[in-house]
Amino acid sequence: MADGKMSQPRSLSQHQFKWLLVVPLVAFFVLFFVIPVGLLFATSFNPAKVGQVALVSDLTFDNYIRFFSRSNYLMAAGRSILLASIVSVITLIVAYPMAFVIAKTENPARNTFLLILVLASMQLDMVIRLYGMMVILGDNGLINQILQELGLTDGPVALMYNFRGVVFGLVQFAIPFMVLTLVGVIKGIPSSLEEAARSLGASRRRAFMRVTLPASMPGILSGSLLVFALSISSYIVPALMGGFRVGVLPIHIYQQVAESARFQFGATIAVILFLISAAAVAIYLRLGNRKSGGLA
Amino acid sequence: MAYVEFKAIAKSFGNFVAVADLDLEIEQGEFFSLLGPSGCGKSTTLRMLAGFVKPTKGHINVHGRDVTALPPEARDIGIVFQNYAIFPHMTVFDNIAFGLVERKLSRPEIKKKVDAALAEVGMTGFEDRYERELSGGQKQRVALARVLVIEPEILLLDEPLSALDKKMREEMKFWIKNIQKSVGITTIYVTHDQSEALTMSDRIAVMDQGRVLQVGSPVEIYEQPASRFIAEFIGESNLLKCQVTTLDGSACSVNLGDVSIPGRLSSNASVEPGQDVALLVRPEMIRLRPIEANEPPKLQGTVSETIYQGSVVRYRIHAAGQEIMVEVANRPDLPRLNTGDNVATYWSAESGVVIP
Repeated sequence: MADGKMSQPRSLSQHQFKWLLVVPLVAFFVLFFVIPVGLLFATSFNPAKVGQVALVSDLTFDNYIRFFSRSNYLMAAGRSILLASIVSVITLIVAYPMAFVIAKTENPARNTFLLILVLASMQLDMVIRLYGMMVILGDNGLINQILQELGLTDGPVALMYNFRGVVFGLVQFAIPFMVLTLVGVIKGIPSSLEEAARSLGASRRRAFMRVTLPASMPGILSGSLLVFALSISSYIVPALMGGFRVGVLPIHIYQQVAESARFQFGATIAVILFLISAAAVAIYLRLGNRKSGGLA
Repeated sequence: MAYVEFKAIAKSFGNFVAVADLDLEIEQGEFFSLLGPSGCGKSTTLRMLAGFVKPTKGHINVHGRDVTALPPEARDIGIVFQNYAIFPHMTVFDNIAFGLVERKLSRPEIKKKVDAALAEVGMTGFEDRYERELSGGQKQRVALARVLVIEPEILLLDEPLSALDKKMREEMKFWIKNIQKSVGITTIYVTHDQSEALTMSDRIAVMDQGRVLQVGSPVEIYEQPASRFIAEFIGESNLLKCQVTTLDGSACSVNLGDVSIPGRLSSNASVEPGQDVALLVRPEMIRLRPIEANEPPKLQGTVSETIYQGSVVRYRIHAAGQEIMVEVANRPDLPRLNTGDNVATYWSAESGVVIP
């Protein structure tokens, strides 16, 4: 008892000091994220007026009514959700085996090499990477040249400036995020789990399907959630790889703000995009709790 | 023919020799322990039997069948791991049912067997819990139930008590031994804890640096250790430097500081008169008494330290230029000694083991 009383004032000041450490980040975050985004969201309840940027006291739901009564905006929302879902699934399928191999590679040098390989693409800016992809995916690009050379197609196959091209671009962009998330989780699964399954009579494949894969479900869920959020909010990839022809929500936001100068309606679409992402998080958390015995 | 046979088994990882030329025979129904310090090769030996590690050379036979090339799932061997390896995404019921599902049993059969297994380990009512809702001891019980329910030929236990606290460890030691006895399953137990091995085993193999140093019952291992390493690793020991004077079969006498002391030769050891050897005397085997007049020659010394431990009192005795640790039960009929007292030391000829 006496001991506890003695140490209390000191531990309190240590506690306060710890909170002091997060002040710079919180200040930055509030100033450059919470306030601007809050203002933007508030703007969405102002009547749409071309060229009007500042917040006014006139509140209305007109922008939201407009969004939900126009089929092209609803289609854009659907397209965004579909795109992000497809990208999440493809990225997961492509990234899981790689993440598995990296997680199971015990030699530290080889492990580091594989991780650098995955992270190498992140060293270049997205725009540069996308221009690189254009060289390959264009009508006269490498893939189409090979396809025609082999006589598999008569004319060029449209791999770019369409939905497909956006998917290619986003998967490429999302892979390192997915791999990193999965490696961490798969590494954390003790090898004794698989060994226990094996000695209980499961073949290598059965042990993977019944134990290793379900045990990596928290990583699968958080990785796909991350990729979903990154894909649905990406502007640069649909802009460059879709050539503005794939009308997802970020493209509409850009058009409203930069081209039509209707900040209020752009803000409305942004709020809706944010709500879709938030809903995805909620669904994933639910799913995670059910699928993994509350591991997620 | 023994039930489990390791024949000239060796395992190297690169340049590191984990197990070197190991021969072991384990009988059916036996509780057999592999005991040794960490890195001695005991876990690798167990993992070779389980099928997780392929031996570099040699053969492993179980029940007359060569299993060396079989994958783990074809071996019919159950294993309980140090971390229990409870599947975190499954309930206790599904964990225990895992092996039965792999054996394609019908739903009602699985239910019946899992219920019986739960009852056997005293975990009825915990069917719907997940791993994170279980204590260490409960995980241990589930892990054992999951293995016993498939009725394997052999049960492997890889340091199953080391993750538990001391009190729980003592409890589980007897619990595991009782379950093993009632099921009658051949059990191989890996541990670095000599007290676990002594308490639970029918026989113990002491290992060091990839080799088996001695195989024997707990009594043999404790009372007739084949080497100084084993004597020091198992229990507490006084290893007194001395020379052999006379030798007669396994009885021999040694010279310790001008006093001739009788002892017996450790099993399988051979020494010659005049040879420098160690005399092993366990601290609890030594009796002390204040020196009386006209004493016949005994090893005499001075108490240099007394350590009161409640149930026992320990004395450090300085005698013949060496330190001797003595442990005396704390009883009113035994004399209490003080630092600086001169004492005579006694032990029976049986309790002094001569180790080359």
